[in-house]
Amino acid sequence: MEVLMDYIEFWQERYPSILEYTWQHLFVSLVSVILGAVLAIPLGIYLTRIKSKAIKNITFNVTNIFQTIPTIALLALMIPLLGIGMKPAIVALFLYSLLPLLRNTFAGIQSVDPEVIESAKGIGYSPIQRLMQIEIPLAFPYIMSGLRITTVYIISWATIAAVIGAGGLGGMVIAGLGFNDKFLIFTGTIMAVIMALIADFLMGILEKKVAYK
Amino acid sequence: MKKIIFSAVAVLVLGFMSACGGDDNTIEIGTQTYTDPKLMAHIVEGLIEDQTEYEVNITKDISASPQLITSIDQEELDIATLYSGEVYNNHFDEDEVEYSTDTEKTLTQAQQLFNEHFDFKWYDSLGFQNKYTIAIENEFAEANNIETISDLEPYAGELRFGTDGSWLERSNDGYRAFQEAYGFEFADARGLQIELMYEGVESDELDVITAYSVDPQILELDLKVLEDDKNFFPPYSASLVTRNNLLEDDPQIDEILSSLVGTIDEETMTQLIYEVDINERDEQEVAQEYLQEQGLIE
Repeated sequence: MEVLMDYIEFWQERYPSILEYTWQHLFVSLVSVILGAVLAIPLGIYLTRIKSKAIKNITFNVTNIFQTIPTIALLALMIPLLGIGMKPAIVALFLYSLLPLLRNTFAGIQSVDPEVIESAKGIGYSPIQRLMQIEIPLAFPYIMSGLRITTVYIISWATIAAVIGAGGLGGMVIAGLGFNDKFLIFTGTIMAVIMALIADFLMGILEKKVAYK
Repeated sequence: MKKIIFSAVAVLVLGFMSACGGDDNTIEIGTQTYTDPKLMAHIVEGLIEDQTEYEVNITKDISASPQLITSIDQEELDIATLYSGEVYNNHFDEDEVEYSTDTEKTLTQAQQLFNEHFDFKWYDSLGFQNKYTIAIENEFAEANNIETISDLEPYAGELRFGTDGSWLERSNDGYRAFQEAYGFEFADARGLQIELMYEGVESDELDVITAYSVDPQILELDLKVLEDDKNFFPPYSASLVTRNNLLEDDPQIDEILSSLVGTIDEETMTQLIYEVDINERDEQEVAQEYLQEQGLIE
């Protein structure tokens, strides 16, 4: 009980800085995922349109390699190029977001039954109409699940960005470890968990709303 | 085939268990991520392996001192280099520990409280401190005639500030308390890894940093450590720390650790760290060389 009172007091005292860390975290995560989606989703669709196996392989392999670089190493590699702070963190997380988004989009479009496409052609749909009105809606659950997984991962990975001066909830955890403040460690962790759950929940709602239209 | 796999797994599991068990003939030393505790670990290793039958195993880069303290308490580690200011890091109830920037008082409190609550032996200082300082580029200091931290006030609003991961949140001696003591804040304050803090100064992304007093980068990057005119920063005197029960079992270890008290001053330590951090030499080699120069080993 006493711990709870202490913890409430901790929040009263620290909430401006907790909110700031949370905001930094949200900002870095969201910008990375949005940039990733803007690049990877159209790219995934484009890859289903081309015949060249080589281009597909290269694209998937390159994004795969980004995915396999350990987080801390990728962040360290960013520093000589982009300095310290949020910029290198966003670029690193953006690179991580590409593969799951790309794969899910690609798989989603590919999964559309060729017969459906044929009949659309038959009733005179243009390629753009086919894509917008048939393929994307049918692939939507795949694309959304890619987006959901990516967002949850990126929110979790963004905690490590604190080591390069990007702030965020990881900053609270590292600070707490540094001088043995368990509240700080706990708060940083729980806020990141809550943020990931809320993001996933909101996207779940969005997915349903759009899908049942 | 099944049998082979089974026995291979059994061997692995047993091997792993014995590796974790830690046998009685090994002294385990843990270090933080920075260089002075790593050098101290190798210095102690050199002496123990020279004078006793023990073998020494060093675990480096443990991210923070509180984790070292827990590990020593749980007998996973035996020896570490810790700093007297650690006593203010939430290990004890507020009514037991009295915050002070006095060197003697801080050390005495650390020795007493860690002895009472953890049954640790906290030796007297090795002779150097590694405390927080505020440092700026020498060029800027000279141009604007800045000697003390208070002298920074007129410029603070335009200065970008970098510090380690925990200083922004520390309660007694962190940024919040600093703002109260000195009455000003910097334009932008960010926490990052220590090495990156110096890279930030070098690439002109940071103007003011919390350098540690023995960091050789202070010399290398031509930084000026400002005088702490409000006596804000608490002392961080380095001491070797171990468990009392280990010393009772073996007084030889006590002799070795005691012999190092007061033998390494700040200048010497900075010089040793310089060899490692700037000249990129091996920590063990530098420690070994030091012991030979001092005539402590052959």
